[in-house]
Amino acid sequence: MSTAVADREVALVDLVDRLLGGGVVIAGDITLSVADVDLVYVSLRALISSVATAQEKQLLPRMGEAW
Amino acid sequence: MRDKVLAAPKDLDPLSVEPPRLEDALSRRINADPESVERGLVQLVLTIVELLRQLMERQALRRIDAGSLTEEQVERLGTTFMELDRRMEELRDEFGLDVEDLNLDLGPLGRLL
Amino acid sequence: MIRLIAITDDASMPPAPLHAVGCGRLTAICAPVDEHSGGADSLWRHEELVESLMETRDLLPVRFGTQLADDEAVAQAVGARGGQLAQRLELVRGAVELALRVDERGAAEPPLTGAATGTEYMQLQADRVRNGRMIHDELAALARETTMLPGPELLRAAYLVERSNVDAFVARVRKLQEANPELVLICTGPWPPYSFADEERA
Repeated sequence: MSTAVADREVALVDLVDRLLGGGVVIAGDITLSVADVDLVYVSLRALISSVATAQEKQLLPRMGEAW
Repeated sequence: MRDKVLAAPKDLDPLSVEPPRLEDALSRRINADPESVERGLVQLVLTIVELLRQLMERQALRRIDAGSLTEEQVERLGTTFMELDRRMEELRDEFGLDVEDLNLDLGPLGRLL
Repeated sequence: MIRLIAITDDASMPPAPLHAVGCGRLTAICAPVDEHSGGADSLWRHEELVESLMETRDLLPVRFGTQLADDEAVAQAVGARGGQLAQRLELVRGAVELALRVDERGAAEPPLTGAATGTEYMQLQADRVRNGRMIHDELAALARETTMLPGPELLRAAYLVERSNVDAFVARVRKLQEANPELVLICTGPWPPYSFADEERA
């Protein structure tokens, strides 16, 4: 894994905390990516990597491949 | 955009950034049985997936109502949700969980789903 | 539909494809809907947009995924909270957000198995909590504002740090890491002030 990619992996939890859990909340239509389930995967993965267990990698195979 | 990591131990493995502390915390508080801890975590994960699936389905239905999706997108969404449902069922079976098992009781906040 | 990505009181025009919507004394910065949305990449792309804006102005980042019908809807929604948002902008002016996660290194040896009595157990628990707290307090002294975030780690927190103080903050994190080899300290940033942008968080 290249350093740049590895750094993004490390920072992903913090990115998700902020973009999805922080910021100004304005009355609007909060739209997760509905046409692409990957965003759900990203959020969950960030959540789960913060509660990482050995099982995690088996529980959620990459969506689009095994799903 | 610059690299976001300002400080971290050099030997950090990015794929296992956080050690399994939640599992430890759960096992100390709830039950020392590792199998039930695993099951509890699976329960939590699947519940969250189910929540998000419902949220996304609702949003998708709103957009279909508003006519802002193409037939192709609708079809793709439909199969994605079906696949998700199927996979969730498989995972539940694998871990011996019912749909009801995912409906966590949050006490004063009511049921989750 | 348009995406609302940031709120500022700098009236200058943002670079294309962004556009500005006047909302009284505030300005809302909007972007077209991202056609290729999905995955971590869309989060990072959004983040790059906000950060490039932040290079030339103070701003409050808006929660990811916020979409409104059009400029009028934006002006109305932002205008309705104008007073609060202006106050928040003052709070974050000239500062950036730094993220910190602190946890024990590895779970190979659950730290509490060393306890022989209930009192020792409580002592060990207290020690662990105190470690996280001490680190937090030391770093909070270098920040304008701070908030804890939910997370399973010993400590997960956000710090609003004067731009000119960022280097000193990071240097302190490194020192604290050296002083605590049994812990893992991860500091990322600088981020736009997401955790200080709205009441709910701070």
